[in-house]
Amino acid sequence: MLLINCPYCDDTLPELEFAYAGEAHIARPADPSKLSDEEWRDFLFIRTNVKGVHAERWRHINGCGRFFNALRDTVSDQFVTTYKAGEPRPEPKTLEAAE
Amino acid sequence: MTQYRVTGRGRVDQGTPVKFSFDGKTITGCKGDTLASALLANGQHLMGRSFKYHRPRGVVTAGSEEPNALVGVTRGKGRFEPNTRATMQEVYPGLKVESQNKWPTLAFDLGAINDRLYMLFSAGFYYKTFMWPRSFWDSVYEPFIRKAAGLGKAPTEVDPDTYASRYLHCDVLVVGSGPSGLAAAMTAGRAGADVVIVDENSEMGGTLLSEPQAQIDGIPAWEWLAGAVSELDALPNVRRMTRTTAIGYYHQNMIGMVERITDHLATLPEDAPRERMWRVRAREVVLAQGAIERPLVFDGNDVPGVMMSGAAQTFLNRFGVLVGKTPAVLTSHDSAWHTAFDMAEAGAKVAAIVDTREIVDIGLQDRAKELGIPVKLGHTATATKGRLRIKGVRVNPVRAGSAGSGHWVFCDALLTCGGWTPTLHLFSHTKGALDWDADARVYLPGRKSEAVQIAGAGRGLWGIGAALDDGAKAGTDALKTLGKSASVPSYEVQKDRIGTGVFHKELPTDRSPGKAKAFVDFQNDVTAKDLRLAVREGMKSIEHVKRYTTNGMATDQGKLSNMNGLTIAADALGKEPPQVGLTTFRPPYTPTTFGAFCGYHKGAQFEVTRRTPIDSWAEENGAVYEPVALWRRAWYFPKAGEGMHKAVARECKSTRESLGIFDASTLGKIEVSGPDATEFMNRMYTNPWTKLGVGRARYGLLLGEDGFIRDDGVIGRMRDDLFHVTTTTGGAARVLNMMEDYLQTEWPDLKVWLTSTTEEWATIALNGPNARKLLAPFVEGCDMSNEAFPHMSVRECTVAGFPSRLFRISFTGELGFEINVPARHGRALWEKLWEAGKQYDICPYGTETMHVLRAEKGFIIVGQDTDGTVTPQDAGIGWAIGKMKPDFVGKRSLDRPDIVAPNRKQLVGLLTEDPKAVLVEGAQIVDDPNQPKPMKMIGHVTSSYWSETLGRSVAMAVIEGGHDKMDQTIFVPQADGAPIKAKIGTTMFYDPKGERLLVE
Amino acid sequence: MTAHVSNLGDVTLAVVPPVARFNLRIAPGDLKAASKAFGLDLPAKVGQGAHEGDRSAWCLGPDEWLLHAPEAEQGTIVDAFAAIREKVAHSLVVISDREVAYGLSGPRATELLTTGCPIDLGRIKVGNAKRTVFDYAQVVLIRDAEDEWRLEVWRSFAPHVEALLTTAQRELASGL
Repeated sequence: MLLINCPYCDDTLPELEFAYAGEAHIARPADPSKLSDEEWRDFLFIRTNVKGVHAERWRHINGCGRFFNALRDTVSDQFVTTYKAGEPRPEPKTLEAAE
Repeated sequence: MTQYRVTGRGRVDQGTPVKFSFDGKTITGCKGDTLASALLANGQHLMGRSFKYHRPRGVVTAGSEEPNALVGVTRGKGRFEPNTRATMQEVYPGLKVESQNKWPTLAFDLGAINDRLYMLFSAGFYYKTFMWPRSFWDSVYEPFIRKAAGLGKAPTEVDPDTYASRYLHCDVLVVGSGPSGLAAAMTAGRAGADVVIVDENSEMGGTLLSEPQAQIDGIPAWEWLAGAVSELDALPNVRRMTRTTAIGYYHQNMIGMVERITDHLATLPEDAPRERMWRVRAREVVLAQGAIERPLVFDGNDVPGVMMSGAAQTFLNRFGVLVGKTPAVLTSHDSAWHTAFDMAEAGAKVAAIVDTREIVDIGLQDRAKELGIPVKLGHTATATKGRLRIKGVRVNPVRAGSAGSGHWVFCDALLTCGGWTPTLHLFSHTKGALDWDADARVYLPGRKSEAVQIAGAGRGLWGIGAALDDGAKAGTDALKTLGKSASVPSYEVQKDRIGTGVFHKELPTDRSPGKAKAFVDFQNDVTAKDLRLAVREGMKSIEHVKRYTTNGMATDQGKLSNMNGLTIAADALGKEPPQVGLTTFRPPYTPTTFGAFCGYHKGAQFEVTRRTPIDSWAEENGAVYEPVALWRRAWYFPKAGEGMHKAVARECKSTRESLGIFDASTLGKIEVSGPDATEFMNRMYTNPWTKLGVGRARYGLLLGEDGFIRDDGVIGRMRDDLFHVTTTTGGAARVLNMMEDYLQTEWPDLKVWLTSTTEEWATIALNGPNARKLLAPFVEGCDMSNEAFPHMSVRECTVAGFPSRLFRISFTGELGFEINVPARHGRALWEKLWEAGKQYDICPYGTETMHVLRAEKGFIIVGQDTDGTVTPQDAGIGWAIGKMKPDFVGKRSLDRPDIVAPNRKQLVGLLTEDPKAVLVEGAQIVDDPNQPKPMKMIGHVTSSYWSETLGRSVAMAVIEGGHDKMDQTIFVPQADGAPIKAKIGTTMFYDPKGERLLVE
Repeated sequence: MTAHVSNLGDVTLAVVPPVARFNLRIAPGDLKAASKAFGLDLPAKVGQGAHEGDRSAWCLGPDEWLLHAPEAEQGTIVDAFAAIREKVAHSLVVISDREVAYGLSGPRATELLTTGCPIDLGRIKVGNAKRTVFDYAQVVLIRDAEDEWRLEVWRSFAPHVEALLTTAQRELASGL
């Protein structure tokens, strides 16, 4: 069972308090009617399925209730970092500096 | 005193005899014995039969790695466990044990015929022997395999025991309480860290229990051990756990541990669980699991009486039992020499020490001479004598790798040692790297992926002194990470047994290797020959060899066999072991009961059963329940002698004719509140909400972004800035999560908040022409007339004095109300309505009647008439879409090419030609029953009921292009009999104009 | 649900009498106005509690508070918040009946909770609260004293949670 850091609670807690919520940084288009069928299809269905560091969403559903983002390595299953919804994906450089 | 017990030796209480039964025979052991030590004290080596060949087998080890001595243990009804390790089961007065895999008796077993047919059972026999003729599979092979397969008997009765679980957090978890574990725990404990130390045995000490001769800091080992244990017990920050096995090592230092609580007790204390699963989260883990002795592989190495030398030493020193009076030793490692010495000193006449090595420490040789033990260096073993118990071993000198002529050494036990394998199972669970040490020829811990230290024999160190020092260092290293410091204690150990040795593939022989039964995996009966055959037949990776031969796949998970298997396979491939690989260790470390995994989740607590505030009334009134999501809901209320169909017909009729009462409390309820509530609702739901007046309600339809129906429900406007949203029972949590998702991540600028009120309210639905007549006298603060309180309205008022949100809505087509009151009043209100309703023959109805009544009206159930691929147009509820709204969740998808494509499956009504025929839900539909098979399916039945109201069956179905097929005939093929003919039509079967809603 | 008490295994387990209970959602910037309406300074950090007389508040999420007050004051509090709604957007929802509260007290109360709570309970300070899970149920744990907890759980989950707590309580009493 993983431990996950909730950026809103500023606390690291058991996975049982959290729920996975799909890939991160896929914003709903401001005006979907302007999108072509292909663009809309990509928004709906196309995901990166990365091997390595994956940006994904989690919800602290049995805690503070907030959705947040995380970078997790899909090979080692280890979290690299977590950050609040709306914040940009941390650059690798920022991560190194933080370590 | 039993024959093989050595007076004054061992830690068992020789003054307290314990009587138990083995295959019906009464056996006497001592308090503190394991089943294995007690049987050995009585000269009983034969403890079981092997899995495939039914060969007689004796105990091989003294620990949890035991492959052979598996027994059935029983203590009364439901308390039978197969495959219990005799080496781990402690004896208690009255313990009942039976041996396994034998018929009719352990000593004479007919299944042993397999042993004579062993040519049939070579590696991969499953894949070869039973290939043809094909027709033999069902009639011959499968019954044969089923009979032969499996160890022991599966229990047949319900387990009456309870199982517990705990979460535990600590600074340092130490696994194993031998010298290195104890030193680590003491070091960390003294520095104030929260320490947990666990051991799978009944007492702590590990190797120290088997080596009383050692002196630590001038104190005899057992005295030192007692001191260490009491020191740990005196520290409030240290938790010491015995009979507790760390079974799995999971992410971020979570360790699963199983504590055995009552299996060693003669009487079961009330309410005590049998086992307890601990989920421990440790900041630092110290693995001090020691090493497991490796068997030597030679013809006849599985005869009862052949066992590991370390086990013999443990049986002697810890349990006071000589495993034989004239034992021989066969070894490639120094450690077995000490076993021979200990046994000689305890009165055994050691027949010989046979060492495969040419050169052995001179001190050992001198000591053997002193004790009068014959020594043979540079020898191999090529055969054993004896069937139910070893009588002798044939030994041959080895010159340049080949065996010379042999002679027999007679013995009543053969103690073997092929070196020691560091125990790295838990470390391997973490995906820590195992590095091959080419000099020592063992795998040692390499790169770590967790905060873990490996100490002592687990990383190839030998001797008590080295283990203590290494454990202390591991404890200090753990403290360092925790930000604590301690000086590393150092230990002075005398009479330590620091040894060395070599590893072998199967031993050289002067006989035909093709005929040798040189066992590698005792439990699965895999021989060296099988492994070489697997390689010859093309298996190149150890993973393939393992699966082809089943080496290491038995309940001991290859603790004894993996390394020998790898060494032999590597040799056959002409490669070094790491090039062939090492099979992955997986949890659990030792076999674990299902009970331990289930914990408290049994019986009524198997999973959550949610109950409404009115559930107790339904139970008292004979409701039959059905599970809906996690809820249990009243399904129907049978009267005496009624089955479901009769009860439902009566409930439908009563409701349509007079009055029905229904518990709708499970409906999801969400309070959508804030200045932007309307905007939020407009974006989430397909419907327009801006113009919905306060006090009015509307059917709301929720899509996914893909355009498919996700949920629906009636939504009432309580204030300009407040909606009372209802959802389906199963969709409540999902809908709230979806709303929160959009609100938090797409539209964080909206000032609106969501709160689940599902459980704040108890919801009672009244339906039927007399609903208003019953309800009106209870209501204050709401004009109940058709004009003032029209269909699809909501009011805040009181009902029977309880504050209420009262909806006038209907899911039945009858005049209907849904009364929401604070949950604690739900049952009280129900009972008041029930009492007063008797004048109208009020009828409680359940979910089945609710389904029938709504189907008669063509109302859909999301998840039954829709399946995640149905759009509003498909379902015929396109009217619920706000066409003028610029956007809502799923709107863009309604123009997707595949959504607007012709011939989509659409929801229609079906009336069977034979009004009595009730279609089966899920049944497939074809347009021509005479077409060749496989027929083209054009849809399926989604809802189907007997309608008492209409005196015929009604059904709904999704059918390709269904909306354009009105009045067409379709067919529903039957498994037996002619296809059922039905006509497509509207889903509105009853009161299509909705006049019944308007009853005065 | 009948209020009852069981005293076993060094833990007293009881159903706590009802209180007026609210879910308050408000932007953190408007906390002052909400504090004024409720009559106590609402804590700003997730997990923290604040107490004044017989009113309590705990911060459960960045914009979410659990409020407790005596039952009789439910209407007054609803009115107090309604009065500021025009000026200060917020959501105050009565959840007095949504949950059932259990009180656990005694030397082994915390240990009893470890039968179903995966979090490190030692990190919840006295006076604070946290939403988490007990077994399969979402709960709010309130720590009233070192050895005293309240567990609030949605009403329909209460029978399951109560059955587990009493089973574990008997287990503690067994001494094994």
